[in-house]
Amino acid sequence: MSRVVVIGAGLAGLTAATRLAAGGASVTLLSKGIGGLQLGQGTIDVLGYTPDRVTNPVLTLAAIASSRPEHPYAAIGAAGVHAGIEYLKGLLGPELLVGDAETNYQLPTAVGAIRPTCLVSPSMVAGHLKADAKLVIVGLRRLKDFQPKLVAQNLARTTLPDGGNVTVRYLSIDVPARDGEVDSSGLTYARAFDDPAFRVGFADTLRPLLAEGETVGLPAVLGLKDLTAWSDVADKLGHPVFEIPLPPPSVPGMRLNAALLAKARAAGVRLVPGSRTVAFRASDGAIVGVTIETAGAPREFTADAFLLAAGGFESGALEMDSHGAVSETLFGLPLAGLDAGPLVHGDYWGAEQPLFKVGVRVAGDMRVLDGAGAIVHPNLYAAGGIIGGSSRWAEKSGDGIALGSAVLAADSILKELA
Amino acid sequence: MRKLAVDVVVIGGGSTGAGVVRDVAMRGYSAVLLDRADLGQGTTGRFHGLLHSGGRYVVSDPMSATECAQENAILARIQASAIETTGGYFVTCPGDDPAFADKFLAGAAATGVPAREIAVAEALRNEPRLNPGIMRAVEVEDGTVDGWQLVWGAANSAKAYGAQVLTYHAVTRIDREGNRVSAVHCTDLKSGEEVVIDCNFVLNCAGPWAGQIAHMAGADPVDVIPGRGIMIAMNHRLVNRVVNRMIYPADGDILVPVHTVSIIGTTDVKVDDPDNLAIEQDEVQQMLDAGEVLIPGFRNARALHAWAGARPLIKDKRVAAADTRHMSRGMAVIDHTERDGLDGMLTIGGGKLTTYRLMAEHIVDAMCEKLGETRECRTAKENIPGPEATRNYVVTHRLEEREHDRLEEQIICECELMSRKMFTEALANQPKGTFDDLRRQLRLGMGPCQGGFCTTRATGIALETDHIDIERANGLLRLFLKNRWIGLWPILYGDQVRQTALDNWIFQGTLDVEHLPQPESEVAL
Repeated sequence: MSRVVVIGAGLAGLTAATRLAAGGASVTLLSKGIGGLQLGQGTIDVLGYTPDRVTNPVLTLAAIASSRPEHPYAAIGAAGVHAGIEYLKGLLGPELLVGDAETNYQLPTAVGAIRPTCLVSPSMVAGHLKADAKLVIVGLRRLKDFQPKLVAQNLARTTLPDGGNVTVRYLSIDVPARDGEVDSSGLTYARAFDDPAFRVGFADTLRPLLAEGETVGLPAVLGLKDLTAWSDVADKLGHPVFEIPLPPPSVPGMRLNAALLAKARAAGVRLVPGSRTVAFRASDGAIVGVTIETAGAPREFTADAFLLAAGGFESGALEMDSHGAVSETLFGLPLAGLDAGPLVHGDYWGAEQPLFKVGVRVAGDMRVLDGAGAIVHPNLYAAGGIIGGSSRWAEKSGDGIALGSAVLAADSILKELA
Repeated sequence: MRKLAVDVVVIGGGSTGAGVVRDVAMRGYSAVLLDRADLGQGTTGRFHGLLHSGGRYVVSDPMSATECAQENAILARIQASAIETTGGYFVTCPGDDPAFADKFLAGAAATGVPAREIAVAEALRNEPRLNPGIMRAVEVEDGTVDGWQLVWGAANSAKAYGAQVLTYHAVTRIDREGNRVSAVHCTDLKSGEEVVIDCNFVLNCAGPWAGQIAHMAGADPVDVIPGRGIMIAMNHRLVNRVVNRMIYPADGDILVPVHTVSIIGTTDVKVDDPDNLAIEQDEVQQMLDAGEVLIPGFRNARALHAWAGARPLIKDKRVAAADTRHMSRGMAVIDHTERDGLDGMLTIGGGKLTTYRLMAEHIVDAMCEKLGETRECRTAKENIPGPEATRNYVVTHRLEEREHDRLEEQIICECELMSRKMFTEALANQPKGTFDDLRRQLRLGMGPCQGGFCTTRATGIALETDHIDIERANGLLRLFLKNRWIGLWPILYGDQVRQTALDNWIFQGTLDVEHLPQPESEVAL
């Protein structure tokens, strides 16, 4: 059986590893941390802004793919993204993700902006705003990362992407997640919402404060393990509810992560978490093995193919040193985007900082290319945030890139090793 | 238009002006302090946090050394909670002249600066990150000081004696009657209101901007040479004492532990405009190299933030104008009667934060003399009121406070352990303040995440408590992130890049802040 090593346990790494294992490969997934899904918003962003607001992500990314050759979507293509989305939806099912590649939801954020995203938790769908909707944004006094007045008053003065406005009010209620604690995290609340008895108390407190016809916006803490917690809350309140994602720790991201990790395990992926991959060995240009740093002794994993899905600067897969030199920290891969002039500038609200578009370049089969367009190592592939050329967070494209590149890389590896 | 009448108008809300208004008020004059921005927003807030023992000047400037030693002891007593008595070392690094230590010790003895040579092994034991190649070490009584607490303490003391403190009031005109200053006109920048203050005397304490103020009164140009220095805060206390290189004062020769960070300083470049202080890449590299000399591996530590300040040095014809380090740091009181035939105004320049109280004493003495009055200075005798006024700061204070109130209070800024109550109380005191105004008192957003997690909380809480409306809330959020970035991008490398990526992920990715309803105009104050 052919052997593959995947480095990185975010959306790209977990998706690719699962697909590889399901396709018959023996897969080892090495990761330093717990994966980026738990830092993000817990929705699947494909394309949100170009910078104009995007309503049909797959259609719009096809245009980007043809007009911006440096963008990851040029290599991945609309078909790749489509395949990635369908694969993930199939893996996780409608209890975790709904939506399709042709439509963006426009959902409120925890500051009250309206954010385009492609696949969402069903617990967020009622947040897709329609003109003349009546909303109430409900804060929890002991949860500081969700300030309901800020959300409500920004939504109230925003014209919806399709035109029209919504009526929004806000309120705060005091329902402790743990007795005696005034500073509870979203995660603490999510665990509390897993308990049906807590949901009863919560709904009993909130229900009398709601008005006829109101849709209830809540912080995205409605259950960590119990995927029906949000709908149970809605039933008990007798009102539609929707979750609004918070800054990390991301409860919706944790739900996705847990489900995807379970799928990877079930598919037979061997998980080696907690160790940084620090070195590699090559022979005749091909990667032979990578070495992780462990408490006892360094340990090498050999394989026939390697997939780098370790993320970008946010995870340490890319680094800039104090002299301004930028590097990919494991293989020392050639990076694109370094010749764009100064990599950072002083205008915070101005153009995207070029630094965060730096990354590796890939071919259509997701093998890593050098500056001249030649394959660097015949058996080294890349997926996700390590691929440069996009403003992932600003344009809301990170998950589409991760999924498309993961599926394409997995399929290329399976084909190559067949 | 609003009219006020006072004995004395003090212009400039840095340490000098705050010290002066306190002194004036304690001597029984009615007084107003004016600043076009917040207190301590200029030079006072843009230094390295060093409370001099005097050691730095024992060879180059003996008189300053003696003054520093005396004032250090006074301030540590009267403003205890603003000062941490860290102690300090002067160390001879590899390549430095070991014989300088002999001159240093002789100078210290002659100037009354407490100093004691210790074994290198003892220095390394107490500060294990120090360069193991150091050849000599001298222990001194350096401390660290929070410039904002210092200036707010002095201003609050002045207020207790009846003075008014008007921040965000920009002086627009100074009237004369004959040869005498008679009134100061200013604009309340927050409301747009004009304020005219009739007065007997003006004390110009505007630091690098003192020349501009003197010019408004019709005085001949006062040659203030702003000397720009940059500082970089590293995210840990790499040392727990101030560490100085035992050399003639030079660039990048001090590392100062202040609060939870340590600050490397500084450079000195003559600039023309104190409102436009760039943080140049070559100076950043110079500071990092200097840090490597004191602490091997310094470049691998995480730089959090950089800033530049302008020294308010009065031109001294003895040295070349481009070499501001070797101009006297001694204070200079400019008597406009003799110089310009202008009565009722004095300008003070030079000096340093450690001697701010003494500078105030001098200029207020000079004013009393001009007014033909004898009123005793009592600023060294009376403690400045405030929390724990008799207890020197230690870095664990906030941790101790949070341990006491963690079950009652949310922590809004985890990096700096700022509680919700601290924030809402400061906001109630300064409801028109920006988050930077509050930051200077609370350290909001000054830790490793540089506002990544606390900015939206602060925005939401300020809105919820009805101090601001939604338009201003978004404007303040935008302004705070923009201002944090000013000090971030020049030192963006290593782990701070990683942090910035996470912050971008939160603000752009999860919150989509750039697509909030755009303010009609950006909030500036």
